[in-house]
Amino acid sequence: MRVPWTWLNEYVDLPWDPQEAAHRLAMAGINVEELTHEKLGVSSVVSAKILDVKPHPRNPGQKIGLLDTGTERLQIVSGAPGFKQGNITLVAKPGATLPGGLTIELKEIDGVASQGMAVCTNELLTGQPPRPFEDIILLPPGTALGIPAGELFELDDWVMELDLTVNYSHCLGILGIAIEAAALAKRSLKLPEVLARWNWADTHGSQKPEPDHKGDPEFKIDLPQPEFCPRYVGKVIEDVRFAYSPVNMERRLLLAGQRPLNLIVDVTNYVMLETGQPLHAFDADQIKGKTIIVRSSSPGERVVTLDDVDRELPENTILITDASGPIGIAGVMGGKATEITEATRKVLIESAYFDPLTVRLGSQKLKLRTEAALRFEKGVDPTAQAAIAERAATLIADLSGGTPVPGYAETNYLDVEPKRIVLHMRIVERLLGTKFSPETCKNILEGINFQVEDMRTHTEDASVSVVVPPRRVDIHGEVDLVEEVARHYGYDNLGTGDLSRAVPGGITDPGLLHVEKIRDLLASHGGLECVTNSLVNPEDLASLGWDPDDPRGNPVRLQHPLSSEESVLRTSLLPGLVKVASSNTRSGIQGLFAWEIGRVFFPSQELLPVETRQIGLVSYGVLRPKTWLGGQEESGFYRMKGVIDSLMSLLGVADVKYLPKAGMPFHPGRSAKIVANMSTIGEIGDLHPVCLKRLDLPMSVTACWLSLEGLLSMVTPAESVAPSRFMPVERDLAVIVPEDVSGGEVIDSISKTGRHLVAVTLFDVWKKPPVPEGYKSLAFRLVYQPQDRTLTEEELAEDRDRIMDKLRQDYKAVLRS
Amino acid sequence: MAEMEVRILQQIIEASTAGELEHVRIKYLGRKGEISALLKNIGNLAPEQRPAFGAAVNALRNKVSEMIASRKDELDREALEQSLLRDAIDVSLPGEYFEVGGLHPLTKSLREITSILSGMGFTVYESRETETDEMNFVKLNIAQGHPARDMQETFYLTETTLMRTHTSPGQIRGMLALEGRLPVRFIVPGRVYRRDPTDASHHPVFFQVEGLAIDVDVTFKQLRGVISTLMNRFFGQDVRIRLRPSYFPFTEPSCEVDISCVFCRGEGCSVCGGSGYLEVAGAGMVHPQVLLNGGYDPDKVSGFAFGFGLDRLAMLKYGIDDIRLLYGNDKRFLSQFRGL
Repeated sequence: MRVPWTWLNEYVDLPWDPQEAAHRLAMAGINVEELTHEKLGVSSVVSAKILDVKPHPRNPGQKIGLLDTGTERLQIVSGAPGFKQGNITLVAKPGATLPGGLTIELKEIDGVASQGMAVCTNELLTGQPPRPFEDIILLPPGTALGIPAGELFELDDWVMELDLTVNYSHCLGILGIAIEAAALAKRSLKLPEVLARWNWADTHGSQKPEPDHKGDPEFKIDLPQPEFCPRYVGKVIEDVRFAYSPVNMERRLLLAGQRPLNLIVDVTNYVMLETGQPLHAFDADQIKGKTIIVRSSSPGERVVTLDDVDRELPENTILITDASGPIGIAGVMGGKATEITEATRKVLIESAYFDPLTVRLGSQKLKLRTEAALRFEKGVDPTAQAAIAERAATLIADLSGGTPVPGYAETNYLDVEPKRIVLHMRIVERLLGTKFSPETCKNILEGINFQVEDMRTHTEDASVSVVVPPRRVDIHGEVDLVEEVARHYGYDNLGTGDLSRAVPGGITDPGLLHVEKIRDLLASHGGLECVTNSLVNPEDLASLGWDPDDPRGNPVRLQHPLSSEESVLRTSLLPGLVKVASSNTRSGIQGLFAWEIGRVFFPSQELLPVETRQIGLVSYGVLRPKTWLGGQEESGFYRMKGVIDSLMSLLGVADVKYLPKAGMPFHPGRSAKIVANMSTIGEIGDLHPVCLKRLDLPMSVTACWLSLEGLLSMVTPAESVAPSRFMPVERDLAVIVPEDVSGGEVIDSISKTGRHLVAVTLFDVWKKPPVPEGYKSLAFRLVYQPQDRTLTEEELAEDRDRIMDKLRQDYKAVLRS
Repeated sequence: MAEMEVRILQQIIEASTAGELEHVRIKYLGRKGEISALLKNIGNLAPEQRPAFGAAVNALRNKVSEMIASRKDELDREALEQSLLRDAIDVSLPGEYFEVGGLHPLTKSLREITSILSGMGFTVYESRETETDEMNFVKLNIAQGHPARDMQETFYLTETTLMRTHTSPGQIRGMLALEGRLPVRFIVPGRVYRRDPTDASHHPVFFQVEGLAIDVDVTFKQLRGVISTLMNRFFGQDVRIRLRPSYFPFTEPSCEVDISCVFCRGEGCSVCGGSGYLEVAGAGMVHPQVLLNGGYDPDKVSGFAFGFGLDRLAMLKYGIDDIRLLYGNDKRFLSQFRGL
């Protein structure tokens, strides 16, 4: 909502400059997003009297006038009807500038020199030529001559652009903002005469003043569905004539973001911006059967709206209809057939209350988010329809000379009971932490037009009893009043406090602490943490080649994604991480080890999908470049496996097995399932060449995923054993086994068979001569460390024989000598 | 003998290697050395002179051997020093290089927030990312057709399930998990989802940190206290807090939390748009209906809630001006966060 500064100040004399006012309003919850100084850039346009008018010798449509600006006399050519002797108009002198960078020069019109131009409102405000039937600006008789246009009209102004929260519908009219501003500035509110007479914005709502409104406007209002439209007021004005609005009104409308059209339509818009109540003007002579029926649409009904669009109306749209059919969409937009034209002589002004939700759904369905819809859907003052119709009718009559027909056509099913709320001081203090007296609350609430009916000052039950003005549709209960008090007192004046009690037991899941340790471990092992999108492209899932029966190929889908690239929930961290690898390659990054911890999602039989956490890792290329000290370190299966080993030892997950061959997207010969405590908790491996090709990855990529929930369920806290007092003994053991024997199994077998072993380290794998073809040599370093003694040579030899017997038996191993 | 002593000492000092020194030792102290030779002549002396002469020779011998030992120490030290210098390394060459990884700036920021708030008794509750319409909206006072749903651009999964649009449903789930126990004090960090196309300041997936405190005496004043401590510690500078009235259906009174700009310290700059303030959170006193929905009696307890945009905090803290960097996972970007 855009609020011109001069307009706001018409209702309250603010003691502030616009900047200060914007700040004060913002700190009371009326958020001023932007404050701009709007300058039209008009110069050398002054008032001038037409002293004499002669016909143009060659063009009968033009006249030659002699104009007096007070200091000089100018010969001006004009064809405007108001260009008559004795009138005072505005003249743009040679060298004058008008909006849009238009400059006025001395020129010849059909052979007669014109020293400037007599201007109309459109030229003055927009720099555009006159509109149909538009006359030059005529100033009141007696206006001093030579006065610049900027002093006669509000050409330069400040505009506050408000970004209102949805509950601030009471500030969708400038008067509503004026009420807030007046309370903040402790100034009085100046209501337009009609609204003051009707007690608009009063606690009990607008009241029909006596002895107004006898008379019959001859129109009938029929509201067959009061749940959609419970109140409709029609105000008739006769003998109107077509006119454009006064300069200041057009300027204010333009600044507020409304295009001026003609006086009648402009007044409805102006009064809407003033009060927040949308109005619509019909050409009353075009309403068939002198009846207005507000009802929901029947299938197939259409209406041509004011914007010249022939619309098919969705079912259950609320329509304004007459005897012939739809003439408007309730609360959204009027119809073309009954619009105000140059020929309009009789006007019916609609001032109604439409159900907020109905208007909201209707305007959404039609994709017509008009200023009217915006206001109706937030809820307007249900008591103000007649008062505001009167305000508009009076304004039209004052400005164009029409005659309002006394009384109005109305059907009303609303019976608005004043809302009464008791505000207890103990509640105020309990919520805000600051003591308030009933007097302070009373003063604040009365300042914004609430009525305080009763006040109790005894400390135990100190309270104020409040009547809520019906325009405040956002106030429902006591806490809402607490907010009103707090925001007008100033949130920043409430002080600062500390939480009082310690928290005995929380809900922190101990697993969360483990997760942070996992993050630290991965980072200290060279991994960079990533955050990838959890909304992924189903094609990226498909590229990884999961079988159709694999749940990872069957993700949860968004109903209305922004794009197909972000249309399903990830079922694995791998697609996102593989993309990280590919985007970094494309940036010329030589090597990367990246990881992520996050949630993955699967469809379930329950209402909500299954959410489970994963760790994902990806790496490629050179992780550490060659230096003078040593060769480069490359990404690959064993390096990543080493990181996982560290992770397992951090968490105390023992007995982890790597079983050959994980499914897609992994290379069948260079991948493994990670199994711990008999369950698969992850997969690791190089990516399948087919996947690499599909993903356009030019290099080998290693990846791994682990179930975080699985890992956390196996966490074993570290146990301590006193170190042995005896020296450890090291022995090397090299065996030759057939090449297809799993090295991991041999290690396990040694560890289990040997006695007093504390470490079995594989330090060499050799497949070349002298080891025969089809065999490999595995060399181990065994560390013996019994708790109670040092082993003798005999015991060590015995143990070696025991291990070799077992390896010979299980793996056809022979001792390498 | 005095003349001899001077000569010997001279030779000891002049010996520049262990070999030379040994040579001196044999020459004077050896069995056939000059000092021993002196004693051979003792028979030529009068008997009463002999003891004094013998004592003088012994004193000389002792003195010379002391000198030689001390000179030997000296020479050994020099020799060791020289041999160590031959082993010297070029300390200016680069050390062994370890490629260290790092945490994402969002993780780092969240850790700081968690640690500051845990000092005030807040624990962590991780809620769901997929939610029911009921939890995400209805239980938070945002009924069907409520204008506040204008603020929520929602990704629906089905008619009644969706990607949570804020971490606030975690308030309800956390309260229900606590089953009425007091005090309630936890944060809900995590991803949230909105139908905002990606640009420099929007990403359809982003992070929030929700906070909730409920007790018999929780006030708006305390809300300011907690937020003020959090912001001061998080940004490591004196930050002014400004609370602006605002609207959230699940709090009343509600406010936007502005902090004095951490770049210009409130002077006005391009980051704060010249206002000197940055909007960082929404907050307020928990609406009575929301307390009821979580199983707490609004007549007996009160509470406050706040919600920070974690991305915004991280961007302000680390001077990141485009949210896409946070989700771009470029190694050159992520590597910058290896430090503290």
